[in-house]
Amino acid sequence: MAEVRLDCMGEACPVPLLKTQKKLKELNKGDVLIVEIDHSCAMKNVPEWARKEGYPVELEEVDEGEWEVIIELNK
Amino acid sequence: MAKIAASTATDATPSARTGARPQKKRKKSQIPYAAIALVMIVIAGILFARKSDNLSISWIFGIAFGFVLQKTRFCFTASLRDPVLTGSTSISKAVIIAFAIATAGFAAIQYSASLADPANIPGNVHPAGIHIMIGATLFGIGMVIAGGCASGTLMRMGEGFTMQWITIIGFVAGSVWGIRDYTFWDSNFFQKSPTIWLPDYLGWGGAVFLQLLVLGLLYWAADSFSKRKLGS
Repeated sequence: MAEVRLDCMGEACPVPLLKTQKKLKELNKGDVLIVEIDHSCAMKNVPEWARKEGYPVELEEVDEGEWEVIIELNK
Repeated sequence: MAKIAASTATDATPSARTGARPQKKRKKSQIPYAAIALVMIVIAGILFARKSDNLSISWIFGIAFGFVLQKTRFCFTASLRDPVLTGSTSISKAVIIAFAIATAGFAAIQYSASLADPANIPGNVHPAGIHIMIGATLFGIGMVIAGGCASGTLMRMGEGFTMQWITIIGFVAGSVWGIRDYTFWDSNFFQKSPTIWLPDYLGWGGAVFLQLLVLGLLYWAADSFSKRKLGS
């Protein structure tokens, strides 16, 4: 039940998505991945991809133009 | 908490996340900035109108396009990249719909212009040849690496994403270089390719119908692609 943070600040699309896909493979069931992004494009495709993979996703704006995508590995 | 994405019914709040989270910074209201920007837009529009009507019309359309682009996350790069990367074609379909609307709009503009003066029809009708394919491939590689096409780069510059400020330097440099050598490419390559303007070959009805049919088929292909890939 680890909470892993993935720093994608300053990374342009599609790098955050690729990093997320790679990181999720390393994690186990029950872990939570928090992806930190500041590229508005990643705010769309990271949650979209994770939802389609079937994970519950939450998106939070932590600061002006900075978001956290919280992905729960429920499987 | 500002929720940007519309949550779907299947989303559950991640329950495992119970640890203390850093206190969020209080956000400053951006409404005063928006009001100042709006006033400046209007003043600039009035100043442009004194010089030329077209200038202020372009200004307003430019602002409106930027607004729509930013709010919708419309992205030509993503429309071609996401199907490969994630299997999602939602933006691809949006681009196809935009093309269909533009087809109808341009047909109306060009048709009315051709009735008035058949020799002088507006629009960028240029020779089509292998150079389009080479250029499009280069542009495609470039825009995926740069994280945005031309309009997307401009929009993200405005959002304050600093990496795209570097992108725009490269973009401007490349464009200037291209214009420098344009006459060479134009006389040696472009002019040797045929200029195809569909209404010349198919008539107005045929041309518009064919273009909408192709776009419709592309939409159907994009839709079934994402359904097969994502099973949703």
